[in-house]
Amino acid sequence: MTTDHEAVIGLEIHVQLNCPTKMFCDCPNRAGDEPNQNTCPICLWLPGNLPRFSREALEKATLACLALNCDIQKESAFDQKVYYYPDLPKGYQLSQFHHPLAKNGWLNITDADGGTKKIRIQKIHMEEDVARLVHEKEGRTSVSLVDFNRAGAPLVEIVTQPDVRTPHQAMEFLRCLRSQLRYSGSSDCSMEQGTMRVDANVSLRPRGSDQMNTKVEIKNMNSIRHVGDAIAYEITRQANSLKAGEPIVLHTRLWDPDNRVTTAMRGKFEGPCVPDPSVPRIVVDDAWLEEMRRALPEMPDKKAARFMEQYGLTAEEASMMSAERELSEYFEAVVEHKTSPRLAAQWISGQLLPLLKERNAVLPESAVTPECFAGLLLMLAREEINANAAKEVLKRLQESGDTPEEIVAQCGFRQVSEAGELEALVDRVLAENPSAVENFRKGASKAMGFLMGQAMQASGGKANPRLLKEIMTRKLQ
Amino acid sequence: MDSKIFSYIDPSPPAPADGGALSGKRAAVQSSISVKGWPTEAGSRALEGFIALEDATVVERLRAAGAILAGNTHTGELGFGLAGDTASQALKNGLVDVTLMTDTLGEGRVAAASAGVFGFKPSYGRVSRFGLVGLVPSMDCCSILGKSLDDLAAFLEAVEGHDDRDPSMGDTPLEAFRMGRGSSPGSERSSLSAGVVVQSLESLNAGGRKVFEEALRRVEKAGIALREVQCEDFDLFRIVHNVIGSVEASSSCGKFDGVRYGHCAAGAKNWNEMYLRSRGESFGRVLKAYLFQGAYFQFENYPAFERACSLRAKLAQAGRKWLDGVDMMILPTRCAAAHDRPAETVEQVYDIFPLTLPANVTGQPALTLPGFLPTSAGDLGLQLVGPAGGDRLLLEAAGRLYPRTEEAR
Repeated sequence: MTTDHEAVIGLEIHVQLNCPTKMFCDCPNRAGDEPNQNTCPICLWLPGNLPRFSREALEKATLACLALNCDIQKESAFDQKVYYYPDLPKGYQLSQFHHPLAKNGWLNITDADGGTKKIRIQKIHMEEDVARLVHEKEGRTSVSLVDFNRAGAPLVEIVTQPDVRTPHQAMEFLRCLRSQLRYSGSSDCSMEQGTMRVDANVSLRPRGSDQMNTKVEIKNMNSIRHVGDAIAYEITRQANSLKAGEPIVLHTRLWDPDNRVTTAMRGKFEGPCVPDPSVPRIVVDDAWLEEMRRALPEMPDKKAARFMEQYGLTAEEASMMSAERELSEYFEAVVEHKTSPRLAAQWISGQLLPLLKERNAVLPESAVTPECFAGLLLMLAREEINANAAKEVLKRLQESGDTPEEIVAQCGFRQVSEAGELEALVDRVLAENPSAVENFRKGASKAMGFLMGQAMQASGGKANPRLLKEIMTRKLQ
Repeated sequence: MDSKIFSYIDPSPPAPADGGALSGKRAAVQSSISVKGWPTEAGSRALEGFIALEDATVVERLRAAGAILAGNTHTGELGFGLAGDTASQALKNGLVDVTLMTDTLGEGRVAAASAGVFGFKPSYGRVSRFGLVGLVPSMDCCSILGKSLDDLAAFLEAVEGHDDRDPSMGDTPLEAFRMGRGSSPGSERSSLSAGVVVQSLESLNAGGRKVFEEALRRVEKAGIALREVQCEDFDLFRIVHNVIGSVEASSSCGKFDGVRYGHCAAGAKNWNEMYLRSRGESFGRVLKAYLFQGAYFQFENYPAFERACSLRAKLAQAGRKWLDGVDMMILPTRCAAAHDRPAETVEQVYDIFPLTLPANVTGQPALTLPGFLPTSAGDLGLQLVGPAGGDRLLLEAAGRLYPRTEEAR
């Protein structure tokens, strides 16, 4: 991008609510089933059927809105977004266009320079998902198959103000949004699984101006990283167009992740939105709203502050431990077993999470229960094992169902802290390495590291490193 | 039974439920009202061969109350207008005691008036719409046609009341509706009054006015006090109904794509062409014009639709104001316009219903009574329109207008 232009970016995020049923019928809201299993006369929209709005969808949607600091509207209503396409069995999509569920939300994100930037949310509305189209070939003929399992699944669409300026901000916002929504328990927010779908509207303007220029919509990004890449590509593409004197035309482009470019798709069609006469207006009262607020768990910001206050974590540790709800609950469960909170935070982020990632496992299903993990950390703190052994035990914990104490005993990881044993060991190592001893005494402090390594190796990794070093230092003087 | 009257006759009706309030009563429903296992084509090629998977709530409740369902009567396409409708003939010919019709513009009341029988459109939200192949969801209602007020009251009692499957019924408890005829003794109103809708008389010719004046005298004689009510914006009901009705119809018909049921055009090259041709071949001329009109307001002139919606709210308000100080409104059911020739345009359809459609716009209950307005063009029907929820009040008032002996009690 030329330095005299800035990007103006607005995001539209569709999030599938994790309700057990669809939005207007009792069919399971479940991905991955055989096509057209989860259907009924309502979501197939057979004649004579009427939509029955799910209260649970309203509750989950409201939690999502509250988690994004929105004002829930006292009254909202469904409209029919009219368009004819095979993914829509009734010719319109039930969506809240004129009277959305919530307005005026915001999230604070950390900008690239470390400062805080507020991204405003214009509105959040509920809508039903459409059917999934599968395009295949039967012989040489192209056929399009329709899977109605997804038709009627409950969604919210989150529309931001055009406050985002950079790909980094867009990605930060999405991470923050995902964390908030997962916390609220309203959605899994997986871009890979399609339960979170992001469109970005991108336009450029001269820096310092407040005009809004023609925007281009980009779609088809299936990870947060792709959103950043696609926006970056689109900013460059538009800047080049401007430089070449080409006009920007309102249209939609698709991100092509393989070639890392956006390509134009056909012009955007906006159908009309008319009030739906069958779904009643949604009217919420203060008491119900209060109930919803109480149902909202402690959100990441508050939790991080509490972790610093209550457990003495650093800001970075607290933010790390509170980023995901399950992780934060795991952390607190570990701390409950009287482990050092900072040690727990460091070992969770530094050892446990990388290990799980490497093994493609997730925290809630991990064999390393908070109790096991706490047991391990306590042994480490009591110097019954050293850090190297603890890492080894952790790996085995993830594989076996044994307790850390059992693994330490089985594998002989117990740390050698007996002074006499360590002194004999040091004596032996010093005797075997006279030249290193010589070097050290001549002032080559690096030789100490070598000797420590030799001693640790001779102990089979089990020596208490603190004691070992003490003895070694004493003997070398 | 006559297949010109019935589009479908149940070859083996199930034994009626014992001891129900409708025990032994014979009923027919329009083919736009779902009966499980019956063809439910609603008079449209768009539903050709469609067999209902479930009973409409009204059908389920009729059966539970012991009524025998004889068959389906023919209906105008998707219940819009009266072309080809045979519901009132089934009554007139004595084939059934009661028929159920969908009522979008006043089809039930006009058909009843023409046939010289009673026709009742309940308050919107009082009778479930589940299972009705509707056209205008905010105005559609299941109306009841019968030869006696007692039958009407008994059938209303059987089908009315909350249904989880119709979200637009609201939460008004049924008890709130229980006043007037059919309610507990002692709750009957001692005096009743009605407002004569002055503007409705403009649609009558001199002969029509004369019989209407005479009818009003009979009404007064029966102890119902009358007073004139000026309804300045009466003409607006028709425009508002036409704009909003066509928009809702356009949306409602979006589901008729010929893919899952109904007529599907052969030989289309792609899905878009298949939709266009199937819909083009399915809908009749008048309905098609109505749908085009609705699509025009949706896509090209949304502000006009919004204006119609705000007018509708004002009209509903005006309707309540007109009822200030009177229990009901009184006006003819149909005007003497020549509506024996089939309507060929949307306007011609509307020409038939200017006096009945206001109750569809406002959701008020309305009842047409036979025998008061005989003219050379047939019975015009005397129409009572009550406040929303005042269904039983209308039936009670009507009861006072007929000496007990005239009614087969």
